Amino acid sequence: MNERTSFPTILSLIHSFTLSLFTHDLSSVKINLEQKESPCAADCRNLGFVYGSFRTGNVDCCERWKLREPLGFSYQNVWAISLKANQDTTEIADKLQRVQQRLKGYAEVEAVSRMGSNFPFSANQTNNGIEYNKRKVLADFYTTDENFAKTLDMSVPVGRWYRNADSVGKYTPVIINQKAKEALFGDENPLGKIISERFRVVGVVDNFKAKGEFMTNKPALFELAKANAIWIDTMLIKVKPGTDAAFEAKVVKDIASMMTGWSVEVDYLTDSRKNQHNLVLVPIIIALIVSGFLLINVALGLFGVLNLSIAKRRGEIGLRRALGATGNGISTQFIGEIWVLATFAMLIGLLFAAQFPLLNVFDLQAGIYVVAILIAVAIIYGIVTLCALFPSRQAAMIQPAVALHEE
Amino acid sequence: MLLNYIKIAWKVLLRHPFYTFITLFGISLTLTVLMVLTSFLDHLIGSHYPENKRDRTLYIMQMRLQDSSRTSNSSGPMSFKFLTDYAKTLKTPERVTITTFINSSNAYVGSQKIKLNTKFTDADFWQVTDFDFLEGKPYNEQNIANGDNVAVITDDLKKQYFENTAEPVVGKDIEIETIHYKIIGVVKASPVTRPFTYADVFFPYTTPKSNYQATGMRGGYVAMILGKNKADLPAIQEEFKSHIDRIPLPGIQDGFKYSVLEVKSVPYLENFLGPLMEGNAGLRTIFFGVITFVLFMLMGLPAINLVNINVSRIMERASEIGIRKAFGAPVRTLVWQFIVENIFITLIGGTIALGLTLIVIRLINTSGMIAYADLTINLNVFIISLIVCLIFGLLSGVLPALRMSKLNIAEALKS
Repeated sequence: MNERTSFPTILSLIHSFTLSLFTHDLSSVKINLEQKESPCAADCRNLGFVYGSFRTGNVDCCERWKLREPLGFSYQNVWAISLKANQDTTEIADKLQRVQQRLKGYAEVEAVSRMGSNFPFSANQTNNGIEYNKRKVLADFYTTDENFAKTLDMSVPVGRWYRNADSVGKYTPVIINQKAKEALFGDENPLGKIISERFRVVGVVDNFKAKGEFMTNKPALFELAKANAIWIDTMLIKVKPGTDAAFEAKVVKDIASMMTGWSVEVDYLTDSRKNQHNLVLVPIIIALIVSGFLLINVALGLFGVLNLSIAKRRGEIGLRRALGATGNGISTQFIGEIWVLATFAMLIGLLFAAQFPLLNVFDLQAGIYVVAILIAVAIIYGIVTLCALFPSRQAAMIQPAVALHEE
Repeated sequence: MLLNYIKIAWKVLLRHPFYTFITLFGISLTLTVLMVLTSFLDHLIGSHYPENKRDRTLYIMQMRLQDSSRTSNSSGPMSFKFLTDYAKTLKTPERVTITTFINSSNAYVGSQKIKLNTKFTDADFWQVTDFDFLEGKPYNEQNIANGDNVAVITDDLKKQYFENTAEPVVGKDIEIETIHYKIIGVVKASPVTRPFTYADVFFPYTTPKSNYQATGMRGGYVAMILGKNKADLPAIQEEFKSHIDRIPLPGIQDGFKYSVLEVKSVPYLENFLGPLMEGNAGLRTIFFGVITFVLFMLMGLPAINLVNINVSRIMERASEIGIRKAFGAPVRTLVWQFIVENIFITLIGGTIALGLTLIVIRLINTSGMIAYADLTINLNVFIISLIVCLIFGLLSGVLPALRMSKLNIAEALKS
């Protein structure tokens, strides 16, 4: 091969190489989408901007890979009413209880529950380490009252939800979710056990994915709120279906006139859920657009190279046709050649890509990478074939007489 | 001669319509993406309405407290009192304004709910920012001293809240969380991407629920410091730092024992990148690694692509070069021809890109993805990217042409 013909070959090698490098990224992003799973809010916040970009896009989706689990609660027709006392500092706990009583009185309200500001789908998060028998785990903490499970339609398969009457003695009654139970107790029966020397388990719930379907199902702990706690200032209310903003306006007006100077804000959990989803989806969409742009560029480059190499080999094609090769035979030859080329480039690309699962970068399961790599390989062959199709059709149409005449 | 070259280039382009399409598509797509990207960045960090003076403004966004063992941190906006004591007292700046950062509330019209972003500000806010008043005027020190329940709203809120948008609403009443405010001004709404100035309704800080009375250091307020000119900014930072250094350490805030206290007055972008720069080394490496990778891919691939397309176009014309050499064309003429041809093609691609960018920016602005977005084309960026394209075009077009033109005539003719 002389210098001139080798140049396009090198270029196309570079192309398929880069192609193979970042289709991995693209496909891992795709996995994310397909799995309908993605990083939880905490990771999002930690990694900030980094999150949108390629490889990190699949951080953390491993666990959720196999666990396409339900949320564990129902959010339809649930509103979160956040209260803020502002400059009022007297008898806050009392006033909060009065608000709760008032809310219960409305005909439109089915259930009312009081909790901290980290209500489902909110931007707030609280977590703490808990311990049982030297086994430690980091759990999301939710401080709620006895009506929480009823308001969010949660079932308690083991034990029962706590009641105000449970808060006697020095231990606070708590409910844990299945994840926390597995982490702390394994196969042991958790009911009645003491965690971290201050919580007594009274029940176990299944899942609790408070930040939406994309969130990892993490260990969670629900703690009974003390009656005099002043920071348990969010009211979750479940309203009858069809209740509209006119009722909301009435509620806000009533509370505001009961508690002068307080701020009252109402969020529908359905809206908050959408916000949480956007937090996850927007970076993925941006990554997809960027990857798509790069793929198009590479495909264009491949077109150019193939076009040139076919133009250069007219004589050879003519000769083959004259000796009886069919048009299809010629097309197949070119597509085959580009596949061989792509395979070489891909092997080099894989050498790099393989480092990620081997070195355990980003703390991901190897399975995710394997699937990502497989998808990437499929995409590469797809693109390469697509790019080769048009030029190879052209080559197949070369008339042997014309081509050989030129020679 | 020049006209002839352009004619030849045009004919060459027409000879392979598909191929031409690929070339132009590559160039214009790359330029479009670059321009949309930069115009978006410019939208985020440049000086635009209503922060037209952002280039000579310093921002104080958060206070960071750290305990003596440096294990726990607490950070967030500050109290009105703190900013009044330490920022408002600065001598060097032209003006300092204190405002709440992000607050939300609801208003109701019949059975309709309007989600509101609210801001409590001082009177200087309207001098530091450049809001366009469509009706009425801003509140002044007098309103604040009287504790008047007045509000400035945006034209967008006016549309949602009042049925008849044609008549002026100054002097009318707006009810938010059962408190009645008198509207004294209507401003043109600003984009949501500018958190220091974005809100639907602005109140003087002495209206209820602003919590300006809080006595601690932490609260919900941030500050903007407007310098007399850009050169003054370092002096202002220095003066602010000297004020902060006067705070005795260690201390206790809301039960948190701190021994490190950090408040910085920095240019706009640093507010948001700052935590990342000071964050742990691993995170920083990942961040910059990813950015470099993306940038490299974003620039490198289209460049390779362009080179690729150009090289193949010229190599295809080996015989043409051979014939022209055989008839006595000097190397310079040949190279010159290819330069003209490349510039010609790049310019066509650039024109298409300009059109595409205008369309994309139009789409983004009208789609409502970002409320009140005001993206504009940055001509500097357009020219720079065009020049970059030309350089790549020249490199990739001229070098092979040069090599070709040095070929033996016989060999060039043979192919």
